[in-house]
Amino acid sequence: MRNDRLLTIGAVVLGVVLIVIAIVYWAEPARSLPSFFPGHTSGSSHHHTKHGIAAFLLGIACFVFAWFRSGPKRTAPAA
Amino acid sequence: MILLNLISYPRAIILGALQGVTELFPVSSLGHAVIWPRLFGWNIHQNDKYYITFLIATHLATALVLLGFFWHDWVRIVKGIGRSLRDRGIDPADTDAKLGWLLVVGTIPAGLLGLLLQDKLRSVFASAQSAALFLTVNGLILFAAEALRRRAPQTDDDDDTRIARQVTWAQAVGVGTAQAAALIPGISRSGVTMGGGLYFGLSHKDAARFAFLLATPIIGAAAILKLPELLGSEGNGVRGPALAGAVAAAVTAWLSVRFLMRFFETQTLIPFAVYCVCAGIATSVYFAVS
Repeated sequence: MRNDRLLTIGAVVLGVVLIVIAIVYWAEPARSLPSFFPGHTSGSSHHHTKHGIAAFLLGIACFVFAWFRSGPKRTAPAA
Repeated sequence: MILLNLISYPRAIILGALQGVTELFPVSSLGHAVIWPRLFGWNIHQNDKYYITFLIATHLATALVLLGFFWHDWVRIVKGIGRSLRDRGIDPADTDAKLGWLLVVGTIPAGLLGLLLQDKLRSVFASAQSAALFLTVNGLILFAAEALRRRAPQTDDDDDTRIARQVTWAQAVGVGTAQAAALIPGISRSGVTMGGGLYFGLSHKDAARFAFLLATPIIGAAAILKLPELLGSEGNGVRGPALAGAVAAAVTAWLSVRFLMRFFETQTLIPFAVYCVCAGIATSVYFAVS
């Protein structure tokens, strides 16, 4: 039960982080991205839109996972 | 501004028709889109901006045809996903919801890898020679899929229910990830997906159905993502041929999906495997000596 709760909270936190990362990718050109971000390139004005979409979709997936994990428990029907 | 048609209408129709067929037949549309112009000496290369723009239109047409062909399935699947979100869980008896989430789970790795690797892989494997080589590899993958396939259980369930009951979450992720191999020209998305389905115990018909359902959001999303290029300045000189190519692709994609859904009721991947190996070797030799 406690593990379930931790997993749900972890998924929500990860989802928020990924959505923030997506926004950073969309808002900032490659030269202004933090150096540890994939796609960081000095002097480049290119926006990594696709990286942003990828991070956004993963973020949404984390939220959906948390939504299901925190839902009512189901028992498998008897065979 | 000089507006000229970078792809002639007859070639656009031929390439569109070819794309509609090869996207759904397990023989690699991208591979054929690279090999075909080189084979006939057309000055068209897969990394040319205008050709990519042209392919966006034909892919969008193919995705719309797939959506239309399986429209009733998609309506049920989307309703199933909605029910599961409302109930915060997937009812074991709700096979529409299970199938819907299997498609989502399978699409995520394919979509992510596509977004991140597409441009790099296309530039690395841009040549017709490598496409011919990978077409041969694709044939071997199809042979292997037939050799390794598991016998499908006999049930009275409908098609989508059988798929939902047979495929597990991990298998959907595996098939979705394997789809990324289709970013390499010569490797077929539907071939890899169908091969995975057969390996997991689906019948040929169900594997084809799962492959087409799984392909629809990926092909559609990839095309929609690049649609601004077709509608913007990069589409100048290509929009007319692209429209002609898209119509041709739509017609042949419709005929192809109709044919393949009947074909796989009784037949296997072997004819396509033989074609890929023969065509791959023949074009490899031709490119090497020409």
